[in-house]
Amino acid sequence: MYDILIKGGTVVDGSGAPGFTGDVAVKDGRIAAVGPAVAGEARQTLDAAGRIVAPGFIDPHTHFDVQLLWDGAAKPALEHGVTCVIPGNCSLSLAPLKIADRKALVGMFQQIEEMPPEAFTEAFDWTWEDFAGYRDAIARNLQLNVAPLVGHSVIRLWVMGADANQRAAKPDEIAGMQELLRQCLEAGAVGLSTSFVDVDEDGRPVPSRFSAFDELDALCAVLGDFGRMLQIVPEFYATDITLARIDQLADLSIRHGIPTTFSPLFDNNGTPDNAPRALARVEEQFARGARVWPQVQTRPIDISFSLLRPSLFLSRLPRWVRIMRLPLAERLAALKNPAIADKMVEDAGPDGGLAIMGELVVRGGDAAPAGYVGRTLADIAAERGEGPARALINLSLENGLDVAFLAAGRGHDATDRIGPMLASPFVHIGASDGGAHLASFATYGDTGYLFSEFVRKSGSLSLEAAVRKITADTAEIWGLKDRGLLQAGKAADIVVFDAAQIGRGEERPEFDMPGDGMRYVRDALGVDAVVVNGEVAWADGRYTEARAGRVCELA
Amino acid sequence: MSAAAARQSQPSPAGLDDAVVAAAEIVAGHDGAAELMVRLRHGNGVLSSVTLDPETGFDLLHAAGAASLGDLVGLAWSPIIKRL
Repeated sequence: MYDILIKGGTVVDGSGAPGFTGDVAVKDGRIAAVGPAVAGEARQTLDAAGRIVAPGFIDPHTHFDVQLLWDGAAKPALEHGVTCVIPGNCSLSLAPLKIADRKALVGMFQQIEEMPPEAFTEAFDWTWEDFAGYRDAIARNLQLNVAPLVGHSVIRLWVMGADANQRAAKPDEIAGMQELLRQCLEAGAVGLSTSFVDVDEDGRPVPSRFSAFDELDALCAVLGDFGRMLQIVPEFYATDITLARIDQLADLSIRHGIPTTFSPLFDNNGTPDNAPRALARVEEQFARGARVWPQVQTRPIDISFSLLRPSLFLSRLPRWVRIMRLPLAERLAALKNPAIADKMVEDAGPDGGLAIMGELVVRGGDAAPAGYVGRTLADIAAERGEGPARALINLSLENGLDVAFLAAGRGHDATDRIGPMLASPFVHIGASDGGAHLASFATYGDTGYLFSEFVRKSGSLSLEAAVRKITADTAEIWGLKDRGLLQAGKAADIVVFDAAQIGRGEERPEFDMPGDGMRYVRDALGVDAVVVNGEVAWADGRYTEARAGRVCELA
Repeated sequence: MSAAAARQSQPSPAGLDDAVVAAAEIVAGHDGAAELMVRLRHGNGVLSSVTLDPETGFDLLHAAGAASLGDLVGLAWSPIIKRL
């Protein structure tokens, strides 16, 4: 008797092989059988006719470290078909961490994840210091699987204390970090993350950025003993430095026999040679025998701004630049001054700002009146009998400047360039940042967008290739044991979806963070059921009571 | 191409001292912020770019004495960053 029998779907097993009509049987958390017609009874049968049956998706770049402590499904990641997440990226993890260092780390998390402070004071009991303690704390309630990275910044904090973000480490401190990293890897860490970019809540570089190369080299030697991953955030704002980091990663990869990955790698019209040059260098380094995986995200990048905080969005307009640079009180006073506002409107052009601002969309989740949310500024302005620039100023003033405007698809949005990039065998699909940037944009649904934009719309990838990219390839790159394939004996992580419908819903605000904090989310489209380690975790649009997720075993 | 010919075809070394702002654009930052992308043309003709976060972008405009983005184009890079 099987536990679950998924019948009559198109089985796309993650290997890249053509899909076939068949059944998938599950027993004791594992795939028991896969074939055109699996015989036998099951306690639960899922009819998958007309649907795709695939391995659960794996998201390799997330910041769910905190959320997993009260939400073992990393909602809404699970309902998008994601059955495994890798948190702890960008040098930050919640362990190992001494009690005395919690405040410093919370500041870094608040900066990167935009997590409300209540998330750290009300939502969970902070019971651990070491990595094994954190692993045990999240393991109690998991609805999906987790393969956590350990962050370089917290390793520095543990060993160096307040000096962690002041200076390079001394030899004895490097040795201490090596020993601590070894303990974390023995406790199940999937690798080490570091960052050359991130800052804390005061704008200071995070501790990992004070590391000299010999420190990183020494830590990679420990990773080499375990064959584990090094993840970095390179200086992605400058192509030449990114190329240098690729070379550095390649040397570390070859010398220590480790896989490495860097994220993000973006494409945009401003620097059209950035991604091609980086990918060419990656290919050269793979040819040398290095493993340097660039993570490329699927979704476009939007710009969001309000007049509450200085934004460069309107920096082509001299008067707007001047006003935006003013301290808040002076900015507010200037905007209220009719003569100044008139000049700003004049700056926006003879069309009242229609060309520059007309397509901006008013976002929800802040003080924006509900009737305006989701509508373009051109539409709202017409209704108000104003030009778009005047409407932007007045709407902001009427709501304490706390109205956000969205300019959609302003980067990484050229499907004809990004599609082939995602299909490249040297590209690792990732960099979703799931669980981060909560108040800025939704970091969920990148997997659905892969299918809607690059399989259905552009045809850059076949369905089988797209599934493989976010299942078996990811499991292999990261060394996740028994994940990513629908084969007998593998873990029963399965997603059932409609190939014609899978996608991401519209971005919407959700007030489900601790302290009634807001975040932007996207609902899943076209996903029928998600199975995690042999138990149905999501089906018929609802989460179940299953708690079958676990910390991943590593190959 | 011989090694000698290849060497001759390489652009001569050029530092930041002779770089000029060739273009300045607003691009989307990974965190949803508008960022300033400056495209530099070096003395040897090579183009490079650097993208700045909002705070640094505003500081750069100020240091350059630029009223808006368009004013950056054509300015020598080195004096600007020395004033940052």
